[in-house]
Amino acid sequence: MGYVDVTGVRHILPDGRVLFDGVSLRVGEGARAALVGENGAGKTTLLRIVAGDLVPEAGAVTRSGGLGVMRQFIGSVRDDTTVQRFLVDLAPPAVRAAWEAVGSAELTLMETDDDAAQLAYADALAQWGDAGGYDAEVTWDAVTVAALGVPYDRCKYRELSALSGGEQKRLALEALLRGPDQVLLLDEPDNYLDVPGKRWLEGRLLETRKTVLFVSHDRELLARVADRVVTVEGGTAWVHGGGFAGYAEARAARHERMAEVRRRWDEEHARLVELVRTLQQQAANSPDMASRYRAMQTRLAKFEAAGPPPDRPPEQKVAMRLRGGRTGVRAVMAEQLELSGLMRPFDLEVWYGDRLGVLGANGAGKSHFLRLLAGQDVAHTGSWRLGARVVPGFFAQTHAHPEWLDRTLVDLLWHGEPGRPGVDRGRAMAALRRYGLAAAGDQPFGTLSGGQQARFQVLLLELSGATLLLLDEPTDNLDVLSAESLEEALAAFEGTVLAVTHDRWFARSFDRFLVFGADGRVYESAEPVFDETRVVRAR
Amino acid sequence: MTLTDDPAVEQAVEQAVARLADEFRTRLRPQVVDTVVRTCREDLSGVPATALPELVERLARERLQSVG
Repeated sequence: MGYVDVTGVRHILPDGRVLFDGVSLRVGEGARAALVGENGAGKTTLLRIVAGDLVPEAGAVTRSGGLGVMRQFIGSVRDDTTVQRFLVDLAPPAVRAAWEAVGSAELTLMETDDDAAQLAYADALAQWGDAGGYDAEVTWDAVTVAALGVPYDRCKYRELSALSGGEQKRLALEALLRGPDQVLLLDEPDNYLDVPGKRWLEGRLLETRKTVLFVSHDRELLARVADRVVTVEGGTAWVHGGGFAGYAEARAARHERMAEVRRRWDEEHARLVELVRTLQQQAANSPDMASRYRAMQTRLAKFEAAGPPPDRPPEQKVAMRLRGGRTGVRAVMAEQLELSGLMRPFDLEVWYGDRLGVLGANGAGKSHFLRLLAGQDVAHTGSWRLGARVVPGFFAQTHAHPEWLDRTLVDLLWHGEPGRPGVDRGRAMAALRRYGLAAAGDQPFGTLSGGQQARFQVLLLELSGATLLLLDEPTDNLDVLSAESLEEALAAFEGTVLAVTHDRWFARSFDRFLVFGADGRVYESAEPVFDETRVVRAR
Repeated sequence: MTLTDDPAVEQAVEQAVARLADEFRTRLRPQVVDTVVRTCREDLSGVPATALPELVERLARERLQSVG
């Protein structure tokens, strides 16, 4: 069994700013703690400090039980790492060292096959056995069978880049959960996993008795798995001792408490300053008061030196104003529509004000369907049309806008697009401010974080006066707080919303679902369906 | 994982002795081969049982070639 204890940790960025200070938390034996916070607040940095990759400027990290770390990049490995190398890197340090020693002894033996080299090789093998290498190989066999369905010997030389992102994540998770390390640090373990994959992850995390500290933006996963929530915000971190269900309330209460403490401090400070000023005047006339004046001065100086208590963290001020507008009763009509080669023909009617979730298998044509409705050129048969006064507004993940990457936000707003009039700098900055993007106004789009890019795209939707929102995975890359704010904006939107999503929490806010099945069938469902498997296509 | 009384390992070592005795019969007496193999086996104590027969045979051949 293991634990992690972080006491008074401070981290300073290379430019001298304090990223966070006074971070103290304990993840006790068998606890499953979630780490949340806005993008850029320092979640990954804190995880790296706990892992020992970074040395904190102040404070200490103690832990026991062996540490297994799953980094964020797993799932997007594109180099020539093999499955074997990957599993060795996830193994405890002793196994890793013994594996390296065997490897180099083998190389020596290939070059000079003499007595000494053979004995050195024998010694390396003995150490491999002593370090638990043979046991590790047995575990790896179980891991590859569970994650990839093949024994270790048949896939150990396979390159990781040939595996999908989800397979890479599963491989790492199986290795860590079955391995000897008792404390696991998982940085976004659910990225690249489809919903069945996420359900599997939830099940595995719930059944393990190991201590887990994980970063995730998936609110469903947080709600099911986390038994405490660590929030990195306002330059420090605090712990909510319960699950995600009561988290929003606890956070609001904490912020109110902080504001109250700060307000009292400010009042006391004002009172002392006033007192010093009064005594100063009296001291000028009466020497008796001079000593009282000096005493009060000292008291004020001490009070100020102790410093004010931290103020409540600034609210992420995102005021999304998606207004929409009244349109014809029928917003979208499709008859015997088929996107060439992707699905069987289907009929669809979407009414004004509908919230339609588009779900289904990867590769079944969901995004193409949305693009078609947005007016893009997508090969299809059958007919479709939009109702009266329906203006589509399309939102897609960043890779859909390569032409934006080098342009600044103000520039993009100033130029406008067909259907979206340009606005001057003043109005552009005012709009950016409402979306918490004012500071990034002169930054190129490509340098924004995923969450910022998503917010900017919602801003463009607002300006275009869209009455039909077509959203392709809008909550991907959004931190928990931004996702909540997007949901609020959509709830207030007067118009129709079609969204492709695999975010189970987000899907709850929809009232109809169109499911693209793996077998090519497109059907409606009253409940969200998430277990359509991936479409298998000949490559 | 160290020297074992595993009959399979014993058998494999005996087979190695037989093979080496045959290979070196023009140059060395079988008793010498047997002694060298036993010494090698002692030197390789600590090696996991699965790898032992192969390593013993390899080391013994190397040593027999240097004396014969």
